[in-house]
Amino acid sequence: MESELERLRKKVENFPSASAYNRLAELVRLGGDNPGAEQVCRRCIKEFPRNGQAYVILAEIELANGRKDEAIKNLLTAVERDNRSYAAHRMLADHYIEIARPPQALQHLRQILTFKINDPAVLKKIEQITGKPPTASVIRQVTGGSNAVVPGRPAEPTPLANKIIPAADGLAGLCAEAGVRGALIADEKGRVVSSKRLSPEQEDILAALAGEIAKAAEQSLTAVGQERLSMWTIVAEQGQVLSFKREQSFSVVILAEPGVRPAMLEIRARQALIDLGTG
Amino acid sequence: MQEILNQLNRVRGVGGSLLVSSDGLPMASALREGIDEAQLAASIGSVIEHSLSLATHMKLGAQKHLHVASDQGSLLLMSAGNGYLVVVVDQQANLTLMQLETKPFLERIAQRLSL
Repeated sequence: MESELERLRKKVENFPSASAYNRLAELVRLGGDNPGAEQVCRRCIKEFPRNGQAYVILAEIELANGRKDEAIKNLLTAVERDNRSYAAHRMLADHYIEIARPPQALQHLRQILTFKINDPAVLKKIEQITGKPPTASVIRQVTGGSNAVVPGRPAEPTPLANKIIPAADGLAGLCAEAGVRGALIADEKGRVVSSKRLSPEQEDILAALAGEIAKAAEQSLTAVGQERLSMWTIVAEQGQVLSFKREQSFSVVILAEPGVRPAMLEIRARQALIDLGTG
Repeated sequence: MQEILNQLNRVRGVGGSLLVSSDGLPMASALREGIDEAQLAASIGSVIEHSLSLATHMKLGAQKHLHVASDQGSLLLMSAGNGYLVVVVDQQANLTLMQLETKPFLERIAQRLSL
């Protein structure tokens, strides 16, 4: 039977995706082949330069090999590419603690709290550095700005940086529909622009996998001579996920109860995109 | 299996059909000329892989079907035991009706695959 490693190798050759490269790099690394894993990461970076995870894996390999300077450089690139990379922020925080630069460490730890509110490990670390638990106002302050600047890096404008929008109001009408468990709006790179009634973990998984499904779905449609994915749905026994796309940029992804009919949700989803200024 | 797909293609609104394994390998095909079945099967395999992962993480249970749509038509993916039946759906087709009409074909395919 074909091993997972072989399957992934074939996949990155024939149908490459950032997630396939990342999984392959992790598996090669677990097999003890660090140079091989590094090569996979570098190929991933070349083909998918916006993917942050490859930089994190590369940094882990470099740290294990004592190449600390290169690792830190890659971790900074990782948070620049993906400001919600938990691993990269944690590793950078540890690095700054180690070199006795607590303000920089705190900046990275607080950045984590913007997308992983009340993460026990991060709160504990902040307490260790400051000698006191983070106050509610500190947590509110960091969580209030989901597009906070990455420490040591210029602010990256978000897709909607020039629009004045209330964070999740565009989804309020959609989430008021019966049977909707939660919804989010993501950009084409899988970054969450707005979200309602979803936990941070659900947001991350939903946005990332919805992005991968959309890419593969578009390839499938192209193969049968159709263009422009407009929607996809997964209907399962205990729920469904629906995604509606507009103008090849933003998608609304909805987590709903099994019996909900997509027609009404589509109207609400398209309205949410218009409300958000992306329509 | 080929005969089942040929019969399925006679259903109104069906523009072709393909049977793929869950890892994206074509098992049988009745597609229009010019469609690269290997390319379609590979991308469908990726859709299935990521959707299964999403269903697991979101605790959605077993998948019933997937639907991928564009302005020119859509693709309907239905679990058929050890494989997936992919139906190319014309733009004007009624999806609910098509799901009902494809059900007997799906059951026959699932039965054959379980042998």
